[in-house]
Amino acid sequence: MEETVGLFDIFHTIKKRWNVIVLLTLIAVLISASVSYYILKPVYQASTQILVNQKNTENKIDYTQLQSNVDLINTYRVILKSPVILEKAIDKLNLTQSWEELNQHIQVTSQENSQVFSLMVEDQDASKAVVIANTVSETFQEEIKGIMNVDNVSIIAKAELKQNPIPVKPKPILNMAIAFVIGVMIGIGTALLLDFMDNTFKDEHDVEACLGLPVLGTVQKMPKVHEKGKRDSKTQTMGSEKVVSSVEK
Amino acid sequence: MARKRNIKQTSTNSGRKLVTAIDPKSPISEQYRTIRTNIQYSSVDQEQRVIMVTSSGPAEGKSTTVANLAVTFAQLGKKVLLVDADLRKPTVHYTFGVNNLFGFTTVLTKQRPLESVVRETEIQDLYVLTSGPIPPNPAELLISKSMEQFIEEAKEQFDYILFDTPPLLAVADPQILANQCDGSILVVFSERTEIEQAKKAKELLENAHSKLLGVVLNHKEAQKNDYYYYYGAK
Repeated sequence: MEETVGLFDIFHTIKKRWNVIVLLTLIAVLISASVSYYILKPVYQASTQILVNQKNTENKIDYTQLQSNVDLINTYRVILKSPVILEKAIDKLNLTQSWEELNQHIQVTSQENSQVFSLMVEDQDASKAVVIANTVSETFQEEIKGIMNVDNVSIIAKAELKQNPIPVKPKPILNMAIAFVIGVMIGIGTALLLDFMDNTFKDEHDVEACLGLPVLGTVQKMPKVHEKGKRDSKTQTMGSEKVVSSVEK
Repeated sequence: MARKRNIKQTSTNSGRKLVTAIDPKSPISEQYRTIRTNIQYSSVDQEQRVIMVTSSGPAEGKSTTVANLAVTFAQLGKKVLLVDADLRKPTVHYTFGVNNLFGFTTVLTKQRPLESVVRETEIQDLYVLTSGPIPPNPAELLISKSMEQFIEEAKEQFDYILFDTPPLLAVADPQILANQCDGSILVVFSERTEIEQAKKAKELLENAHSKLLGVVLNHKEAQKNDYYYYYGAK
């Protein structure tokens, strides 16, 4: 006979082994919190905004020029992260890291049909991130003239060091929320696994099915009132055991 | 003859164990009475007078079950003798708050007669025979001729003789005793007793040619749909 596990059985298991679920969830959240707050070092972000726009002497807007500037952004994004720019920035700042390592800490983002793109630098030192962001964007502005033979790049917003910089990584609350969800899932999984592996008697049906013997009766868990036991002042101690005065019959 | 004991003034353990004596109207006491009734009707052709209570492993509630069953049988007005045949870790003397200087082993070794060692309890018609001094060879004592004589003598004086025994899988004593009793009861602890262990215990009892009266499921989680869940103690 096949044994089917219903939704009620799953809920019963969860209810019965709630302490396992709570414990594992708590462990997951605590690990996540300790890793986020004590192990992972905070990473700060600095960003500059660069405008790609050909200097126009006339007051009218040239839409063809505008579109070509937008199309150029994708090319500029690649150039900005290339060794041509990054190695020069490293030399200027006397950084020990290679251009590949610096490249990993740089992100270039742009919005669709916009002439502005952002350069974002991440570093464990907030002031260093600001300096790198500004240096890279300035180097790019200088070098692009020679590379593309155009002078259509201008920095519209420089990176600035805030008084109390907020790290972008790690995000402890988010990490803990993710850990909570994972912890609950692992907890429920563990509870169901423990129940599946549990080869003990649960009820009368188990006894009858496994032993083929009649169940004379069941005794429920004793309430707390009976578990405490009752002491009496008349009880005497003899050796290690408690006995009472006997009355000869 | 027997010395009277006060249940209410026993060891701190007995309050938990003898719920049938302390709180006879409680749902748990009613459950023990149900077990008693089922034992009485378990065999139509032959009355089960000498009953052994055992389990596959330790701490499954044998002693608690046998003590409460003894009380429920005594409450019927039957003369009941509760014998502590657990000659390894005896507990009956703790439950009833009596000393264990003389007892079952004293009778088996013919040092004292049964009448002088049996103790009367506060519960009417309930008598206890503690284990007595623990011998180095319990199995040999139980297999001896004096054991048969003891059962015959006890049957003359009492309506029911209930034996509290050690775990089946731990020692051979229960198997030896099972062969000399009218019936055996296996106690299983809900969510603790392993199915395989209980199967082995059943096999051992069958090998001893013992009549297995049935199983008592102990420490079961109360469900909302259980009858006694609603039946409150007065």
